Amino acid sequence: MSDGESAQTHTEAAPLADVFWSFLKIGGSAFGGSTQAMMHREVVERRKWVSDEAFLAGLAISQVLPGANPVNLALYMGMKARGGPGAVVAVTAMIIPAFCIIMLMGYGYRQFSGLPITHFILGGVAAVGIGATLAVGAKVSSKLPRDVLTFLIGLTVFLAVGVFRWPMLPVVAIAVPLSIGLAWLHVRGAK
Amino acid sequence: MDNRLLGLFLVFAPLSLLSFGGGQAIVADIQYQTVELRGYLTNQEFADMFAISRAAPGPSTLIAALIGYHVAGLTGALVACFAIYVPSSLLVYGVSNWWQRNKGSPLKSAIERGLAPVAVGLIFAGALAVIRAAKVGPLEIATILLCCALFYFTKVSPYLVVLSAAAAFAAAFLIR
Repeated sequence: MSDGESAQTHTEAAPLADVFWSFLKIGGSAFGGSTQAMMHREVVERRKWVSDEAFLAGLAISQVLPGANPVNLALYMGMKARGGPGAVVAVTAMIIPAFCIIMLMGYGYRQFSGLPITHFILGGVAAVGIGATLAVGAKVSSKLPRDVLTFLIGLTVFLAVGVFRWPMLPVVAIAVPLSIGLAWLHVRGAK
Repeated sequence: MDNRLLGLFLVFAPLSLLSFGGGQAIVADIQYQTVELRGYLTNQEFADMFAISRAAPGPSTLIAALIGYHVAGLTGALVACFAIYVPSSLLVYGVSNWWQRNKGSPLKSAIERGLAPVAVGLIFAGALAVIRAAKVGPLEIATILLCCALFYFTKVSPYLVVLSAAAAFAAAFLIR
């Protein structure tokens, strides 16, 4: 990993307390703001734990691999700052603010779930969430390569999990290697 | 109680490794397992939890913590949170070094290219699962379409949209 690290980053020295406070701050700013921008300012510009190049690699890994994007980012940056312990501390600190807020909301839900208006309002909020999910799906779809196989894989996964309601694990366990294998043939063929 | 904690772990730990792009990809299976397979939640409760997780700040995978809290209190929330984050984190941890060492590897482009259509299929399946669980009437359908267009074409703040929708639905409930 040394080639991604430039001389201006001082990784070994990062105290765990600093890692904790930095990521608690980033986690706390999750309201509306862009986590990526906030993260960059803190770990690249202010703390100098991570080089720009390593930061970009972290963005790519966080998006491609499973897991929540901000949590993966925190793990990667924490690891760069202070190895394994840094990763554990960064992820924990990153989740704490959002976890506390969602627990409060869960508590509030328990208090008010007896009222019909609660479900009606949450139905409206769920509709917003469904709309947002469809928009994300449409955005990602529009960036897919335009070929029949890609379309068929997406459609088959949707039908299997969404319409036929097959369990996700076996469907994905078959679809992912197959899809990566086909993409591999395509990438090799393009050379 | 202990069975429920173990159950929560068994629901969320495998899904952790399937959460490509975050929580939206696994919504369909969360609904299937917690409502239909294990009966931890009703469809109404599931739809409510989905709504709350979307209104809350932070990653949408925190729906696991919310369901854990509802099923088995604070311990349940912590167990579900652990289960949803640890497996994917271990994977990211393991892959990170390899990833940076192999900058232009064709396998990397193949992985990126190959995962995208699977993730898209799962995202749409998740939307369908919530539509099925929620009571969707004409007002909800209009909201879904409006918000889909809003989020696709503009960069409007999601919190502003959530607050407006909550206010509009509260008003609609009181008027009728």
